[in-house]
Amino acid sequence: MSAPQTQPKTDAAEAGVKLVAAKALKLPTAVLALDAHPDGKTLFAACFDGGVYQVTTETGALRLLGKHESYASGVRYLPKSGQLVSAGYDGALRWFSPTDGKPIRTVKAHQFWSWKMRISPDEQLIGTVTGQYLAGGYKYEPAAEREPSVKVYEAATGNQRWAFSHVPPVLSVAFSPDSRYLAAANMMGEVRVWDLQTGKQAATWTTPDFTCWGIIKSHHYVGGIFDMEFSPDGNDLFVCGMGPMVDPMAGNGKQTWQRFAWKESPPRKVSQIQESDAGHGLMEAVRFHPDHKVFVMTGRLAQGKWNTALFDFASGRLLHATDTKMRTTDSVWLNQGKQLALSGATSQERKKDGRCPDFGHIKLFDLQQASGVASTVSVCE
Amino acid sequence: MKKNQRTDGMGACTPPEHTLHRRLFLQGLVGAGAASLLSWNGLFSMPAFAAQAKKQQKHCILLWLCGAPSQFETWDPKPDSIYSGPFRSIPTKIPGVRFGELMPNCASIADKLSIVRSMKTKQGEHFQAINLLQRGAEPRAPFVRPTLGSVLAQQLGHLDSPIPNFVLLDPCPEGNEFKEFKAGNWAGWLGAQYGPVRAGGEYKLTDVNRLADTTTQDFEQREALRRFLTRKFENDHASAAAASENAIFERVKGLMRCADLFDLNKVVPKDRERYGPGTFGLHTLLARNLVENGAPFVMVANGMPWDCHVFQHEIYQMLVPEVDRIIFNLITDLEARGLLDSTLVVMMGEFGRTPWLNASRGRDHYPDAWSLAMAGAGIKKGVVVGATDSDGVDVTEKPFNEKNLFATIFTALGIDPYAQYEEADIATFYRVEEHAAPIREILV
Repeated sequence: MSAPQTQPKTDAAEAGVKLVAAKALKLPTAVLALDAHPDGKTLFAACFDGGVYQVTTETGALRLLGKHESYASGVRYLPKSGQLVSAGYDGALRWFSPTDGKPIRTVKAHQFWSWKMRISPDEQLIGTVTGQYLAGGYKYEPAAEREPSVKVYEAATGNQRWAFSHVPPVLSVAFSPDSRYLAAANMMGEVRVWDLQTGKQAATWTTPDFTCWGIIKSHHYVGGIFDMEFSPDGNDLFVCGMGPMVDPMAGNGKQTWQRFAWKESPPRKVSQIQESDAGHGLMEAVRFHPDHKVFVMTGRLAQGKWNTALFDFASGRLLHATDTKMRTTDSVWLNQGKQLALSGATSQERKKDGRCPDFGHIKLFDLQQASGVASTVSVCE
Repeated sequence: MKKNQRTDGMGACTPPEHTLHRRLFLQGLVGAGAASLLSWNGLFSMPAFAAQAKKQQKHCILLWLCGAPSQFETWDPKPDSIYSGPFRSIPTKIPGVRFGELMPNCASIADKLSIVRSMKTKQGEHFQAINLLQRGAEPRAPFVRPTLGSVLAQQLGHLDSPIPNFVLLDPCPEGNEFKEFKAGNWAGWLGAQYGPVRAGGEYKLTDVNRLADTTTQDFEQREALRRFLTRKFENDHASAAAASENAIFERVKGLMRCADLFDLNKVVPKDRERYGPGTFGLHTLLARNLVENGAPFVMVANGMPWDCHVFQHEIYQMLVPEVDRIIFNLITDLEARGLLDSTLVVMMGEFGRTPWLNASRGRDHYPDAWSLAMAGAGIKKGVVVGATDSDGVDVTEKPFNEKNLFATIFTALGIDPYAQYEEADIATFYRVEEHAAPIREILV
């Protein structure tokens, strides 16, 4: 695999896009996943307390729709059916009706956590991934799975469609834009792609750039690919996470995304974040803008200047970056891409007057395009 | 050591094995040295004594969970607190007592353990806290207090035992502040002979096997010649260096005789399967075997893996199940071998973790309220002592510090906690300072 040699200028780069903070909402508990109603006025948040909340962007009002028995880790709105699906560390998938708040069904998908859950673009299928990191070797290589690590359910019925094998823990999952392929990646940087029409594995490769074995302090593995998304044409897969660390507990690996031409044999690394663009910290979400020219990567800032950045799809060039002052866990574009909503958390604090101060956050940003701006790359500190 | 004049009798021990020590001394079976030291050579020349001594020999295994494990995911879960992580709690063999859900094996033998849920110490930085929890008191420069292992090596050990009196099994050469500590002076004023022999992982005992082309007879003859010449040199020149070299040779000879006990390739495959596959478990298995063969003190560590400021949930899902399985196997194995009553097992780190999660979903250092577990020699079974509030922020019942802990360990092993050190050129020190009381609730 090799990185690209050219970085063509594009419309997006010329446009000088930037994110401007528009609104900040506080929640009493951390938000691990976020989705939006197509109207852009209603958000859905999966939270630490197990709650799946409806959030009104205008007022910040919260409405609890349902609860998992542990952290809620995934939430997706299905516009066609008007239903909401959530996933949790209790291994369950839950369906709700956000209009009346009534539960529709619950499916126990995994014995361990659902790390990530995604809906196919045609809204027919739900993909969810699991797996506990257990010592499998002298150097703490991950042990083999004890249950299928990747499962696919029918969104309309809750019936299981596929169960795929992987090496746990499997942290991220994504559907191709045509809903035909499902990709899933694990802590060791291994990516597997399946054809959902045949159930056969269509591709597999491993990138060593997201995982490390602790040299200082502790001898075990840490890291992995925390999120992924297919390119709008479906030919490439973008993955994100954090580069290797010497101290696996430092959380200061390089902020990293990589782009793979997954249909090639063997899959080829097309590009990756430029060394000069990257700070340090775990990147937890990557999402394409609806115009398909820009994607956003967001996560945690350990060292550097940003934890959320816009990149040009064609060149991979960093267009704009900002520090949201929280650990960002998920992102969703609103209002045809005019706004970006980011979810996350800050540190918990000691209780004051018997109550833990709010530590969950949803922050809204306006996407502004300023054609003719001299410098198209900016970092807001 | 002499008795601390301030002692109230608590911990003034006259256990049978001490009587045995004195008798052996009177019979001249033991050469000059510390009053509590036995000679394996002399002891094993008398089978009756050997059997009795072996039976009454006390041991200690310290599972050193360096980096400081979270009490919330182990011994003191708070499932109803906003600060609880994603892991839930499970019932244990003790009615009303719950452990973290990643500890089902320990939950099943909770009736063999004692849990202290109210440790409250004052050092929140690793190096200082490791120093504190390994030595049992704050430093008082320029004097260096011996670590627990060194004290137990002196008190329970045998200078000419082939098995080292203080074994540190730690395959990870690194460990940030622990690495710094490891490079320091373990034995303090007791002297280097009570320091640890380090082995495990990258610290394989090498060059302790007799060369294949050297017969036993040849080896013994060469060794006799070496001993004669170096002793002569030592005597003629009053050479401390030669004396030290001779001591090292004796230690190496001992290691040659017990090298197999340090060899992971020689362990029983079924045991390996139960304790492994990770290094911490395999070295705990070595600790079990070493104790079974007479080692007085074995400390097992594995770098500093518990210091999870980030990725806490991601790493604890692996670390806690591993230590849960290891503790279960160790305790049940020692019991099955009739060694649990004579072997104290201590499971702890240098402090606990904050109730509140930081932005990275990790827990930071927290000495204010934390937990540890003990089992075996001198320890009651199925006891939970102390308590913290509903969020685990403060100790609400019976706070204990490092001095209480050390008094408990010494008492459990039949060692006077309040004896005064008599080493030359040191100020007045006691094994446990300030006459701190042991945690009586967990002592037999």
